[in-house]
Amino acid sequence: MIKVTDLAIRLGGRDILRDINIEIQTGKWTCLVGPNGAGKTTFLKALLGLQPYSGSITDGEKEVFKNHDRNVAFVPQHPQIPIGMSVSEYVMLGRSKRDGWGNESSKSRNLVADILKLTELFGMQRQFVSNLSGGEMQRALIARALVQEPTLILLDEPTSALDLHHQISVLNNIELLKERGVTIISTMHDITLAAMYAEQIVVMQEGKVLLTGTSDYVIHSPELKSAFENRINVYTLESGRPVIVAKKEAR
Amino acid sequence: MVKKSSKSELAPIWSWKITALSAALLVFVGILAISFGPVKIEFLQIICTLLGLPGGLSGQERTLLIDLRLPRALLAALVGAALATSGAVYQTVFRNPLADPYLLGAAAGAGLGATIAITSAGADLYSLLPIFSFIGAILAVLVSFFISGKFFAEPNSLLLSGIAVGSFATAVQTYLQQRNSNSLRPVYSWILGELTVANWQKVIWSSIYIFIALTILITVSKQLDGLMLTDEESYSLGINPNRLRVIAVIAATLATATAVSASGLIGFVGIVVPHLVRGITHRVTNRGLLTIALVGASFLVLADLGARTLLSPAELPIGVITAFVGAPFFLVILRKKRLVK
Repeated sequence: MIKVTDLAIRLGGRDILRDINIEIQTGKWTCLVGPNGAGKTTFLKALLGLQPYSGSITDGEKEVFKNHDRNVAFVPQHPQIPIGMSVSEYVMLGRSKRDGWGNESSKSRNLVADILKLTELFGMQRQFVSNLSGGEMQRALIARALVQEPTLILLDEPTSALDLHHQISVLNNIELLKERGVTIISTMHDITLAAMYAEQIVVMQEGKVLLTGTSDYVIHSPELKSAFENRINVYTLESGRPVIVAKKEAR
Repeated sequence: MVKKSSKSELAPIWSWKITALSAALLVFVGILAISFGPVKIEFLQIICTLLGLPGGLSGQERTLLIDLRLPRALLAALVGAALATSGAVYQTVFRNPLADPYLLGAAAGAGLGATIAITSAGADLYSLLPIFSFIGAILAVLVSFFISGKFFAEPNSLLLSGIAVGSFATAVQTYLQQRNSNSLRPVYSWILGELTVANWQKVIWSSIYIFIALTILITVSKQLDGLMLTDEESYSLGINPNRLRVIAVIAATLATATAVSASGLIGFVGIVVPHLVRGITHRVTNRGLLTIALVGASFLVLADLGARTLLSPAELPIGVITAFVGAPFFLVILRKKRLVK
């Protein structure tokens, strides 16, 4: 379990996060939702252990800050795309921690080949990552996270650059991790998609946690609407699946 | 289930055959370089002399080989390796394919440091010259950084500030040089980038500094790939990005400074060689750093051979040869990378 107690982060004289107290179940998918500027990305960086914070974040009893013993994969919203690096080199970077830097085992090579197939990138391994389309790049990022065989994966808006078809394929790939017992924490703009995949939803607003609980609980909660200033409607499909639609405001 | 063969469907990221091949290239080019000149020496005689076998050279020819050509070729190899490797490392650390010891102002800073040392103390402090150059170079790199404002993000502003810092350092250097006309000659011949004054003393002290710097860089070379990503990504892959950057920049700058204090300003090696190796191997990984060092060494040994023989018996400054090859190459890369938007 990841336990967040009294977490606060101040950057440039501004409170980015404050008074955060939540528990995140291991082996489950937790989704951070909320408007831009709510502090979701900063929260992810703190969970990664790179961002200094006050308060406490423990992962299996240990404080996460600068704790290099954990194997955490990070999928950024805006990756730095290395010029001239091939897809296979890029995905192989995910094995660095397992194999030691640069000692690539044949097991790693086989795994990378398998994951490239799984993410529909096999056959493109010699292409440069800088030449990939948005959807292919996102899949390459997911592939790198998968070969890392992490215990926790943090994803910042994994679907924001994708069309609907690729959104689903990426989310399905992420879901595969859950079957392997990996804890997933992602930020996502699309609450409908979040509710479809995540078990737990954390609604954030202005650096605070407004609401947290199971997807079903959160999505039907009136507080969700207030987080989005009543600009959303929640409908339930015949299948019982909730759908969130932005309200068009009358002029 | 289909049984997996032990051979993977994926090519290895780096093949050590390439490294072995480039080492062989260096040996070949080295022997070529010491056999050519106004006096031609036979391959076989060179090998016999070097290995101490009977049938080797004697007298004047032996002196020519051992005291003139050999140290010169070795120094060219060391300088080439240092410049090419530090170029490749700067390109990775600054995430900028056009970063080069010269464009970052490191070389000019090293030149200023060395000039201060030469003009204020005379030219016979060989072993300390790299230290002065190093101080000059690291200051120049830091100033370029701070002026550009964004440490590792914006390629063009870093290059522009590097060029400005380099020009400033060169201006100060020229002023010092003119004011101290008694040491004008040593400083001037050194600026042109000459290996003519190579001797064993110079080879030994530069090899010490360059060996230290390159050992550090090749040790961290595989982790350097992580610096091509965002800090969050590289951290999650198990590296400490800021510490690695500091180590890499210090070592690359030490290599540059030693190269500059040994041979003066020789441009473009740091940009031509890494791109050549990466282009041919189709790999950007820093696992190729040793290969880049070996090819850099071969490149400069060849360039020096050209400098000695093209206008024989007169000599061309080696910097002229590398610029002649390097400048058009640089323009090709610039166009290819479309950095100018």
